Amino acid sequence: MTTEHILTTRGLTMRFGGVTAVDNVDFNLRDGELRCLLGPNGAGKSTFFKCLTGQLTPTEGKITFAGQDVTGALTHQIVNLGVGIKTQVPNVFDGISAYENVRLSARRKHLAPMARELTHTTLERCGITHLAKREVGLLSHGQRQLVELAMVLAGEPKLILLDEPAAGMTGDERDRLAQLVLESARSAAVVVVEHDMAFIRQIAKFVTVFNRGAIFREAMIDDIMQDREVQEIYLGKQANVAAA
Amino acid sequence: MEKPVTRDPGFYVMVAIGLAVMFIAPVMLDLFTIMQITQYVVLSVFALSLGYIWGFGGILSFGQAAFFGLGAYTFAVASINMGSTTIPMVLAFVIPTLFGAALGYFMFYGRLSDVYLGVVTLVVALIFWKLINHTAGPEYSIGSARLGGFNGIPSIPTLHVPGDPSAWLDPGQMFQVFMGFLLVIYVALRFLIASDFGRVSISIRENETRSSLLGYDVRKHKVIVFAIGGGIAGIAGAMWATYQAFIDPNSVSMEMSAKALVWVMAGGVGTLVGPIIGCILLQWLTLQLGTVDVVNSIAVLGAIMMVLVLALPKGIVPTARSLLLGGYILWKRNQGQAISGKVVKE
Repeated sequence: MTTEHILTTRGLTMRFGGVTAVDNVDFNLRDGELRCLLGPNGAGKSTFFKCLTGQLTPTEGKITFAGQDVTGALTHQIVNLGVGIKTQVPNVFDGISAYENVRLSARRKHLAPMARELTHTTLERCGITHLAKREVGLLSHGQRQLVELAMVLAGEPKLILLDEPAAGMTGDERDRLAQLVLESARSAAVVVVEHDMAFIRQIAKFVTVFNRGAIFREAMIDDIMQDREVQEIYLGKQANVAAA
Repeated sequence: MEKPVTRDPGFYVMVAIGLAVMFIAPVMLDLFTIMQITQYVVLSVFALSLGYIWGFGGILSFGQAAFFGLGAYTFAVASINMGSTTIPMVLAFVIPTLFGAALGYFMFYGRLSDVYLGVVTLVVALIFWKLINHTAGPEYSIGSARLGGFNGIPSIPTLHVPGDPSAWLDPGQMFQVFMGFLLVIYVALRFLIASDFGRVSISIRENETRSSLLGYDVRKHKVIVFAIGGGIAGIAGAMWATYQAFIDPNSVSMEMSAKALVWVMAGGVGTLVGPIIGCILLQWLTLQLGTVDVVNSIAVLGAIMMVLVLALPKGIVPTARSLLLGGYILWKRNQGQAISGKVVKE
C-alpha cells in the first residue's frame, strides 16, 4: 500500500474545543496523482490541509507520507521529506526580490551555482522571469502567488500541497497556473484545495468533496458536477446566495 | 544581486576608520579622554550584541544585560581565582553563550511568541539582579572571590599579555586591545550575516512561516543567533569588569538592558554601525548632561529619545544612508542637466 500511496490519513480528527473541524478522515493519494479538494466554506478543507503540513497537530488519527508516519511532525520536517507547501495567504519574503525568494528555496538542497541555475529555470517555468528583480512586496496578489509557487517548485518536492492557489489571480494568470499545476503533476503528486470552479474545471480529474469536516464524495469531476447532493451543499448554496 | 562583504566599500571604510582610531587616538589624545572612549568601545560591543540578535535574527531581548552581567561576573570570579585574565576572557564568552543556548532552547522550542519572549528575557535579567544583590555575606564566595552582593567585586585584575600575568596593559594599550575586540566582532558579524546561515536568520526575521515551509528549522536558528548574541554581550561584560576593575549588580540592571535597547533603536535596527553610533552618541550625551545641574539628565535624555523616535523612526544610520543616497541621485541628475545644457548651448 505504501508503495502505491504517497499520502494517506487514517481516522484523522481535529477538534477545537467543542468543534470538530475534521472528523475521522481516511484519505488516500496515489503517487503522481493530481487531486482537488472541494467543499463549501467551513467544510474543514483548510484545517485538513494544516494537519497535513504540520501547522496543526491532529487530535487523533495518523498521517503517512511515503511510508513514514508524519503525524505531529513539524512543518520543516515534513518539508524536508519532500513536500512542497503553498499556504492560503501568500507566504513570501516581501522585502527582497522575486529572484532572491526563489533562490532561498533552491539553495536549500543545492550548492550555489546549481541553485542559481534552478532559480532561473523555475522563474522561466512560472513565466515570471520579467519579475525577477522586482521587490515581491510591491507585486500584485496574483503575481505573489506565482512567486510562491516558484518557491515551492524550486524545492523539487515529491508531493505538492496547494491551498487556494488561484485566489486573487487574473484570468491569464489563472490559465498559466492551471498549466503549471498540470505540468508539475507529471513529476509529483499534487493536492489542490480550491474554491474557484473555473480553475477546478481546468485541472481536475479526481475530486474529493468535503462537507462538515468529513469526506462527502470522491469521484471524477464530471460526476461531481452532476451530483445533485454536491450541488446542494456546495454549488446550490452559491446559487442560493446569488439568488438572494 | 548578492553582495559579498568583500565587495562592499562601506565595510572597508568602517574597518579603516576603526583601525585609524585604534592607532591614532592613543597618540593624539590625553589619558583621561582615552579612558573615556574606552568606555564607549566596551559598551559598543554590548550594543552590537543586541543589534545583531534584534536586527538580524528578529529576537527582541529586554534582558540583554543578563548576559553582560554574566560575562562580567564570570570574568571577575575566574580572574581573581586564576590570577590571569586570558582564560577568564574565553570563559566570559563561553558561559554566556551556553546560558543563551539553554535559555533559548526553552523559549524557542517552547514556541514562545514575541511578547512572552520579551517578558521572559526581562524577568531572567531581573532574577539575576535580585540574586546577585543577595550575595552580600562571606558565605557567598566562589574560590577566593567573594560575590559581595550589592557592594560588588573590587580589585578585578587588569588585562595582561596572554601568558604573562605581570605584564599589565596600560590604559592606552587596553584601549587598543578593546578596539581590536570591537573590530574583530564587527567583521565576524558582517561575515556571519552575509553567510548562508545569516541569510536564513534574516529570512526567519522576515517571515517565520515561509522559512519553515522552505524546510529551515526556525527554532534551531533562533537558538544559535540568541546564543551568539549572549556570548558577545558576555565579552562586553568581561571588558567592562576589567576596565573598571570593579563590578556590581548595576551591570545586570534593567537600566543596562534598557540602554542597549535605546542605543540600537536610536542608531538603527538592522544595521551594525547603527548600534555603535547610537551607543557612543547617547553615552556622550548622558555624560555631557551629567555636568549640567539645572535639569535632570535622565529627563532630558528621555526627551531626546522621544524626538529621535518620532523624527527618525528608522534610526540614525538608515536615515543618513537614504539621505546620502537621495543626495547622490539629485547630484547625478543635476550633473546630467548641466551636461545636456552645455550641449544645447554649443
